[in-house]
Amino acid sequence: MAKTPETKSRHKMLHTHNPPLAYKNMNTLVKYIEQSILHHQKKMSLHPNNATDDINFDGESFHNFFECWLVEQNQHLNELVAAKSSQPQLAIDRMHTLIDKVVEHYQFYYKEKSRYAKKDVLSMFSPSWISSLEEAFLWIGGWRPSMAFHLVYSKCSMQFQARLNDLIQGLKTCDLGDLSSSQLAEFDDLQKRTIKEEREITGLMAEHQETVADAPMVELSHVVSEIIRDDNQIGEENEKKLEERIESTLEPKVEGLEKILHRADDLRLRTLQGIVSILTPQQGIHFLIAAAELHLRLHEWGKKMDDAKRGNRESESNGS
Amino acid sequence: MAGMCCGVVGETDSPASSRSSRRRNLDLLPFKYIADMAVSQPSTSRKRRQPDLCTPKDFESCEDTSGDCGKDKNNKKKKDESKVNDKVISENKPSTEGSLEVGEFPKFGVTSVCGRRRDMEDSVSVKPSFSQEPFHYFGVFDGHGCSHVATMCKERLHEIVKEEINEACENLEWKNTMQQGFARMDDEVQSWNSSSQTVTCRCELQTPHCDAVGSTAVVAVVTPEKIVVSNCGDSRAVLCRNGVAIALSSDHKPDRPDELLRVQAAGGRVIYWDGPRVLGVLAMSRAIGDNYLKPYVISEPEVTVTERKDEDECLILASDGLWDVVSNDTACGVVRMCLKAQKQPSPPGSPGNNDVTTDGSDRACSDASILLTKLALARHSSDNVSVVVIDLRRDQRQSSNSKNN
Repeated sequence: MAKTPETKSRHKMLHTHNPPLAYKNMNTLVKYIEQSILHHQKKMSLHPNNATDDINFDGESFHNFFECWLVEQNQHLNELVAAKSSQPQLAIDRMHTLIDKVVEHYQFYYKEKSRYAKKDVLSMFSPSWISSLEEAFLWIGGWRPSMAFHLVYSKCSMQFQARLNDLIQGLKTCDLGDLSSSQLAEFDDLQKRTIKEEREITGLMAEHQETVADAPMVELSHVVSEIIRDDNQIGEENEKKLEERIESTLEPKVEGLEKILHRADDLRLRTLQGIVSILTPQQGIHFLIAAAELHLRLHEWGKKMDDAKRGNRESESNGS
Repeated sequence: MAGMCCGVVGETDSPASSRSSRRRNLDLLPFKYIADMAVSQPSTSRKRRQPDLCTPKDFESCEDTSGDCGKDKNNKKKKDESKVNDKVISENKPSTEGSLEVGEFPKFGVTSVCGRRRDMEDSVSVKPSFSQEPFHYFGVFDGHGCSHVATMCKERLHEIVKEEINEACENLEWKNTMQQGFARMDDEVQSWNSSSQTVTCRCELQTPHCDAVGSTAVVAVVTPEKIVVSNCGDSRAVLCRNGVAIALSSDHKPDRPDELLRVQAAGGRVIYWDGPRVLGVLAMSRAIGDNYLKPYVISEPEVTVTERKDEDECLILASDGLWDVVSNDTACGVVRMCLKAQKQPSPPGSPGNNDVTTDGSDRACSDASILLTKLALARHSSDNVSVVVIDLRRDQRQSSNSKNN
């Protein structure tokens, strides 16, 4: 994706914002988090529900939102890890509270995303806030819902292999290796339904992409090309009419994208919630840890690859 | 715990003295290593043949086609007498009158999951007491191309087999009966393909496509005296007898020497394209369906009839989603451990302490089938995984019998 000079400067600016996810110094992180929370709160207060047009709803501001959200996700990851390894184990209701908080955080993400998408859906399909690596694995502007099941199976594999002996004796290990018969059945069912819905949305997207070459588009592109070829002076009034026509032809294309994106994001969120609801609180914590770890590290690795490609790796930004 | 580890690996014919020292060593090993060992353990032992190496000789030794009917007749008579008891038995704990129980209610567990595949093409069918005789039917079907042939097998094959059994009645000859049943199943798939029934599967019934759809079928009919396994394709039935895994079916892979000869004799070729495949297409040499590969790919099953013995522990039927990553020995080891572990009271807080689940399956067998499925997934099986575990132990019935008396 070609970056405009504007996006370049945006990247530079964002380097100061880039959360030091591979942090070594706790103080740096705490300071950073404090700053970003302040920043976040300021931003959020700028976005009341009845947002007005003078607020800049473009990809850049979502970029900022995303960076803040990542920092929070990292915080949540720490809390989840602490909850997992706490001795004695957290009370069930405290685990529930933590899980609810993390799931609500995802919910918040999709709510904001949908709000930004209403103003600028196109930036959601070519997001500047993620790395090229992540972008290459996008499905309709986000992670592929069926991937979540592979995440569970992979995590399950690690924990199962490690604890097979306990599991055979019928001991509870309280992690993902411990999926019960009914959980496995529910999980399998949710997986099948998710893949079905994922296919439906993929189908919708395919149909919508094909409309780029529908009759109005082809006709309009021909008309405009003729005008350019003939170097026709069509007059100010006609020019205005033509502009309107282009706008009205493109409008449903963009609107369609927004609808499909909304369905895709909705499926993503429901898949996440669905999996968490099948799991016990302990298992849920393991799942959310795995999800956050994968997301944060993939983002980090992708950024690193991009940086290397640009050849302007800054020594302090990614101290390995 | 150590004993359990050894359940998987310590079943070799090594002398007892070295066995105890090995057991001690195993205590120190993380289970992951032990489990891996179990998989990679070479099949040096005479009885621990790898299934692919299983020759028909193995089956012949189990085969007994004489005197089937005499016994069945007796059973029928017995059955009528105990008919009233049957109902009670299915509601309460299984009980028995003798070692060859007539009204026995089978203990089984079933797990079937999509796993890492995007399409579910496996089907499982469990029909306890499916015929008038005290016979129990278990089947695993692994579809390819689409799911509809496997689904049809699940819905129809037990009915067809039942009809064949009823028809044979007086002179029931298992091999014939089962081959007849599979042939009729294959006919039904063919006639269904050519008709225009509405269906909601992936292939949307495009005729050329539909011909390229098929399914494996491994079916076990468990009678009071026998285990009849009919197999077509690369799903598998494994018996665990006295701690030893015995394959009751032999996978129909195109490179199995006798299968290769059969395919070639029929005018077909086996081409290596991502493994050996009939005409470079299908990675098995027998299947239900697959009309376009006939006569090279046939639907005739290989049937084995095995006399049940007191040392029989369990029977496992599974699709290659399990067998690709879990050896026969390991699978048997895991199931044995589950069945043994179940004798201890389940720890408080474990989900559902009942012995029988809502779908009529047995808790221990269910646990075993889930555990095998999870083991397959943990070992990165990339296919659908379907597992049926059947408890064949007689000691349990005897103990409950003495209790009842």
